[in-house]
Amino acid sequence: MSSGLILVLLVASSFVAAHFAFERLGKRYLIVSGAEYLALGILLGPQVSGIFTPALLDSLAAFPALALGWMGAIVGMRFYLPELVRIPAFTYRIALTESLLTIAVVFALEAVAFMWLFDISLLLATPPALALAAIAVSSSRETYEIVSRHFGEGTFVTQLDVSTAVNAFVAVLTFGCLLAAFHMNPTGAARPLTATEWVVLTAAIGLIGGALFHLFLGGEANIDRLFVALAGALILVSGAAAYLGLSPLLAALFFGFMLVNTSRNRIEIAAALTRVERPLYFVLLIFAGATWQPSLRAWVAPVLLFVFARAAAKIGAARLSARAERSLPLLGADWGRALLGQGGIAVALGIDYLQQEHFAFTHVVFTAVVASVLLTDMSSARLARSVFASVPESDGAA
Amino acid sequence: MRRALILVLLLGGVRLVLPLGSGAEAPYALLTLGFLMLAAYTVAEIASTVKLPRVVGYLIAGIVFGPALANIVTVEASTTLAPVTSLAISLIAFLAGAELRWSEVRDRIGAIGKILFAELTLTFALLLGLLLALRPMLPFAGSGWSETFVFSLLFAAMAIVHSPAVTLAILSETGARGSLARTVLGTVLLSDIVVVVVFSATLSLAQALTPPAGFGAQITAGAVAWELLGAVVVGAALGAAVSLYLRFVHKELFLFALLVTFLGTEVARMLNVEVLLTLLTAGFVMENVSQRESGLALRHAMERAAAPVFVVFFALAGASMHFEEFLSLWPLVIPIVIVRAAGIRLGSAVGGWWAGMPRRESRNVWTGLVSQAGVAIGLATVVAEVYPARGAALRSLFLAVIAVNELIGPILFKRGLAAAGEIPGTPSESASAPAPAEAI
Repeated sequence: MSSGLILVLLVASSFVAAHFAFERLGKRYLIVSGAEYLALGILLGPQVSGIFTPALLDSLAAFPALALGWMGAIVGMRFYLPELVRIPAFTYRIALTESLLTIAVVFALEAVAFMWLFDISLLLATPPALALAAIAVSSSRETYEIVSRHFGEGTFVTQLDVSTAVNAFVAVLTFGCLLAAFHMNPTGAARPLTATEWVVLTAAIGLIGGALFHLFLGGEANIDRLFVALAGALILVSGAAAYLGLSPLLAALFFGFMLVNTSRNRIEIAAALTRVERPLYFVLLIFAGATWQPSLRAWVAPVLLFVFARAAAKIGAARLSARAERSLPLLGADWGRALLGQGGIAVALGIDYLQQEHFAFTHVVFTAVVASVLLTDMSSARLARSVFASVPESDGAA
Repeated sequence: MRRALILVLLLGGVRLVLPLGSGAEAPYALLTLGFLMLAAYTVAEIASTVKLPRVVGYLIAGIVFGPALANIVTVEASTTLAPVTSLAISLIAFLAGAELRWSEVRDRIGAIGKILFAELTLTFALLLGLLLALRPMLPFAGSGWSETFVFSLLFAAMAIVHSPAVTLAILSETGARGSLARTVLGTVLLSDIVVVVVFSATLSLAQALTPPAGFGAQITAGAVAWELLGAVVVGAALGAAVSLYLRFVHKELFLFALLVTFLGTEVARMLNVEVLLTLLTAGFVMENVSQRESGLALRHAMERAAAPVFVVFFALAGASMHFEEFLSLWPLVIPIVIVRAAGIRLGSAVGGWWAGMPRRESRNVWTGLVSQAGVAIGLATVVAEVYPARGAALRSLFLAVIAVNELIGPILFKRGLAAAGEIPGTPSESASAPAPAEAI
């Protein structure tokens, strides 16, 4: 039997074993996780079995951009204006304040840590620190879904819904601006484009793409054809953004936003997008695992700092923003715990950063993402359960 | 019309964006892939309004925007997207295998075997005769009669191959599940195995009669046997593993379907066994060993993944068509295409009569056997590797023939299915549609 086949069998059996193990753990300890897929990626990748060789990963390099675009479009589809205007303004203020405070705290701490640990300037420390700050903002919808199943509707559930959406928007926007600000200008351009022009270009790709696709689609109702056309449009938008060295996530977010607010088929489009959301997330996890390399630099401090700073910033910022809006009695002091889960957007941002070859500390940032996703995915449902206890009964029953 | 106009606008947008980019291959490939999918979708819509199969629309979009004409999808982009094609072929093979139930195979194997024998023998003989008759015009003709005979033999052995991808795509598009559809699918799948044996035997004979200059991988009977039998064994093991997963885990089927096809392909390559046959066997074993509902759920998950994959596969196939070769070789290509189609038609009619098939069915079987695609190109590449100089000339002619067959094959098959009344919604369908129990 060839060694290659032994490796494949080893990987397959490890995956099945991990799957069973996590399923049992999930049932017993309320763990909601895709950790086995990450483990599968590491097992398949060049670090362990080498079934996914670096050359193979290179040949699949177009795939992550597509997955990123897909996830960005799903985020954009959550901003359907006629529904958003019905939600009280203070909900958005709380969500936005919490997001901005989290970014500020994590960025400041990480920037100082990078400058101190690696003896570099603020300019060099900014990309990894800002990337980690953007990633820190994003929060999983897993906890929201568990809480909404438990409570139904109410102020707390609406706040979680809005906060996760705003968190995702702020994270993707910050990351998109980072790529625009530190863009490597192409040699073929007549003159170097400014950061603002790159941001405008990212938005234009998504918005014009969305408008054209809305016209292209017309009244298409067949779900399979809709899926094919949507996949084509998203691949085009993601590919254009990636080709320009911009963020596919941000361009696709604008694309999704445009589509959901203009198309008559928004429900069908959302269904077509979300039907592969979960598999795509798992494939991204596998890809993340395969791409992951133990960082050669001193990564322990920035990674640990990220995990703890994020948790503290999230909980603190959530409490402060709720207090500023006098909503603490409605949300509870520790409602920020429900935002600790990381989820797909964090993995997507981590992979996007990893692919920016001109940035420093890509593997440190990526390792931080992997560690945080694993930790928070495993504890997100338990956190949600702890949140149940802290939510005021009157609102929970609402 | 509206969609075509938007496509032109998108094309303009792509042209504007290109000078600002880094020139990196992978994002460029993604950009062109997205455009190609929308283009294929649009052209397929136009094709369906004139009653042509969508597959033809995908192929035409590939030709128009591929290197031959607009060059939006460059040769480099096609190369970067090769894993998509590879995944598509594996997915198609698995799905094709999963379409077959043992009870049906048992009932039809006699008829399929007779059709296949008559059709392959007659087509092979007619093509060989034609090539020998056209000897002065052949680009691969040697100085002696024996060399020309050897390369003509090789060409005929390759030209008898069919296309499971086109067959499955047309069945998927039309929803045909009648007797003709099942017979054609069975014939095409079985012919894949037979053709590999015939081709390998012919190549071995060719190497004995006209040894390749300098190098050339010797193909032994043992290697061929392992390639085929090994594929059945590996495929059966993979299918059994899939069944176990379906029985005990049964989660994330969409993702699992992609992983199975991907890993199946890698395992087959590692063990040097025939990839298509491996996946085909895996699909067949999964369908027949698993509980019916579980197998059906996985098939549905795969079919969901297959819709965009078919579009990409055929659009890329269109982009890689060699029309420049057709233009230079058309005096040879046209007679070869006609004689091949005639051989298939005559052979399948004889086989159908021999098997005692209803006339309405046997009259239309040939329409599903004209298409050629990926497997045929693979065989031509093998010949070009073994005989670099004359093999390349043979490959050029063969690719030009494939280009024509790939375009006319789907049209013929759709017409054949309509004539047999097997396309749901066509007027004659009610007269001949099988009972649900028969339609698999």
